Amino acid sequence: MLDVILSQAVNGLVLGFLYVLIAVGLSIIFGLLGVVNFAHGSFFALGAFFAVSLYQYFGWAAVLLSPVLVGAIGMAVEVTLIRRLYDKEPLLSLIMTFALALLIEALIRLVWGGAGVPFSGPRFLAGFVEYGPILMTKYRLFVLLTTIGLLFALWAFFAFTPFGRILRAGSRDAEMVGLLGINLPWVLTWVFGLGCMLAGAAGLLAAPLWTVNPTMAAGAIMPAFVIVTIGGLGSYGGAIIAGLLVGVVTALTIQFKPEASAAAMYVLMAVILLIRPRGLLGERWERFE
Amino acid sequence: MIIRKPGLIATRRTALLGAAALAGTAAASRLGMPYIANAAAAEPIKIGLILAKTGQIVDQAEYLANGTFLALEQAGNKVLDRPVEIIWLDEPSPQVAQQNAQKLIEENKVTALIGGALSSNCLAISSVAKRMKVPYVANNAAAREITGKDCSRYTFRLQPPVPVQARALAPYIMGYGKRWYFMTAGYAFGQDILHTFTDLLKQAGGTVVGQDEVPLNTSDYSSYILKIRQAKPDLVLGGVSAQDLSTFLKQWNELGMRGKIPFAEIAVGDTDIWSVGPEAATGIFTSLWWYNNPNNSPEDKAFAAAYLKKHGKPAADKAWMGWFAMRSLLGGIELAKSTDPEKIVDGLENWKVMAGDVAMGYRKFDHQMMMRTLVVETKANITDKWDYFDVKAALPEKVADLPAVFGSQEEVGCHM
Repeated sequence: MLDVILSQAVNGLVLGFLYVLIAVGLSIIFGLLGVVNFAHGSFFALGAFFAVSLYQYFGWAAVLLSPVLVGAIGMAVEVTLIRRLYDKEPLLSLIMTFALALLIEALIRLVWGGAGVPFSGPRFLAGFVEYGPILMTKYRLFVLLTTIGLLFALWAFFAFTPFGRILRAGSRDAEMVGLLGINLPWVLTWVFGLGCMLAGAAGLLAAPLWTVNPTMAAGAIMPAFVIVTIGGLGSYGGAIIAGLLVGVVTALTIQFKPEASAAAMYVLMAVILLIRPRGLLGERWERFE
Repeated sequence: MIIRKPGLIATRRTALLGAAALAGTAAASRLGMPYIANAAAAEPIKIGLILAKTGQIVDQAEYLANGTFLALEQAGNKVLDRPVEIIWLDEPSPQVAQQNAQKLIEENKVTALIGGALSSNCLAISSVAKRMKVPYVANNAAAREITGKDCSRYTFRLQPPVPVQARALAPYIMGYGKRWYFMTAGYAFGQDILHTFTDLLKQAGGTVVGQDEVPLNTSDYSSYILKIRQAKPDLVLGGVSAQDLSTFLKQWNELGMRGKIPFAEIAVGDTDIWSVGPEAATGIFTSLWWYNNPNNSPEDKAFAAAYLKKHGKPAADKAWMGWFAMRSLLGGIELAKSTDPEKIVDGLENWKVMAGDVAMGYRKFDHQMMMRTLVVETKANITDKWDYFDVKAALPEKVADLPAVFGSQEEVGCHM
């Protein structure tokens, strides 16, 4: 039995890391911009579709451009739409980004068609690694390591670069940062682009695992919201812990009570919110109180 | 002479021209009567199409819709010499499918309904069609209740129900061994597969070594696949549909299970397999139609050619199902010679086309389309990006066995 639990837990952890990557972008956008981005799943889907097309036309190396393209689209969206919502009530940003999600899905359908697009990972990542009861495919191991690398780079970026410090300061007191002579609107554009780029990177990594189709956003956005809520809105570390928790709890529920697996993460969220309404690492933020 | 009145200036010539015009209009009125009658006759016949525009069945729905529209085009966009107007609404859930069916009938005044890509949605639409007495052709749903205990005088169904397809597939897959693992979706279609195949397996002396109910829209099956791996069954019997099946097969291959444990399922959609890709696709399935089946009828071959010409890619089975269901509806209306719902129901009951030695048509007591089921197997090496299947059999072999395969009235439990 221990073997079974260990095997499922490790599998859940790997799945959790993919969820974390999706959720971190959402968390950053909410934490720094105060916008609940309903279109985050659509940027994830765009990342997968761009990867498919870039691979078809230019080969494997070109797929790395996919998150960059998604980030650029995110920046364009921020400048044209999101920017107008910062000083408005939160409901408006919800409605706007929900409409944006529908628009992006319709555009994907228009460009790539309604049916799923076949896509597999590179051949050198085919096959799997077995260690006792643990079975892990090389591709999932690659996803795990890439996600850890990206999260570490992101943490270093926020913690040690001047740009990261401006972002963190701007999220707490935008007026003061502006008074210091920093062009904050431009910084916020970059933040939104960064969040979308992370969604695009998750879409790229998920493309060989999931079915690449216009509705794949739905499979990403719900776990992402649950993880951000469990971790604490806007908390980077909270999102990581919550993502791993969701992955492991879902995997273990599949092992012991498969028919309840879809509900497992919501039950987890309900329990955590009952105990700690701000989420695991949620802080008291003046601007959201 | 000029007639002057306040606000009116007209020459005698103008007045004469006006009088002539009036006389002309009066004369034309008798000639015009047929024109007016034609105008009434040209009022469009509206058909309500309920197919997914979003959600997990959207891949299949796109092909169902393409086939539906192609059938209409081939009929010259007309039925009973009147233009046909299709009003297409979504089916994101059974509740919304039901509301949309009601809206189409009450607000749009449709003559008939067609669609319902998922069994749960189909049952919801069927209940509205029954209550409001409007003919409804279900082009994709496979749950047995539709022409079983929840059957209705107004509902006609194309896809053979789960037990029929199960009886066709079971003898083939028993050859792989009798220790099966079930992985079925937690809604009508999946539950029907689970119960039907479990009965067939137990009758054959087999055992169920595992059984998982999978939520709709599951994006990661790796934990389920690990369980299957632990159970070491002879065969995995699937009951997940559309993009869920594609995702499962993709991850089945990723975890190295392709070729190790056979996978089988009924009522697969070609699009589900095409989206998996040639490297990962695997399985033994039942299907209603395959574009590259050498035994297709001349009409089916003409449809496949027309579809390829119009869309630039082969017709999926769902395109054929959309096409055939619409063809039957238009045929039923033509036979009815009227838009009266009761007469259309009679027309649909009497509509028949020959496919080889089978007279395909809706059976009177349950409104189930009588046809053969194909057993197809994924090719070991797929070299063409569309040509994935080899047709292994068309069952039952003898036409005389069709009524028994589809079950008697007592067996299906339909009492209209």
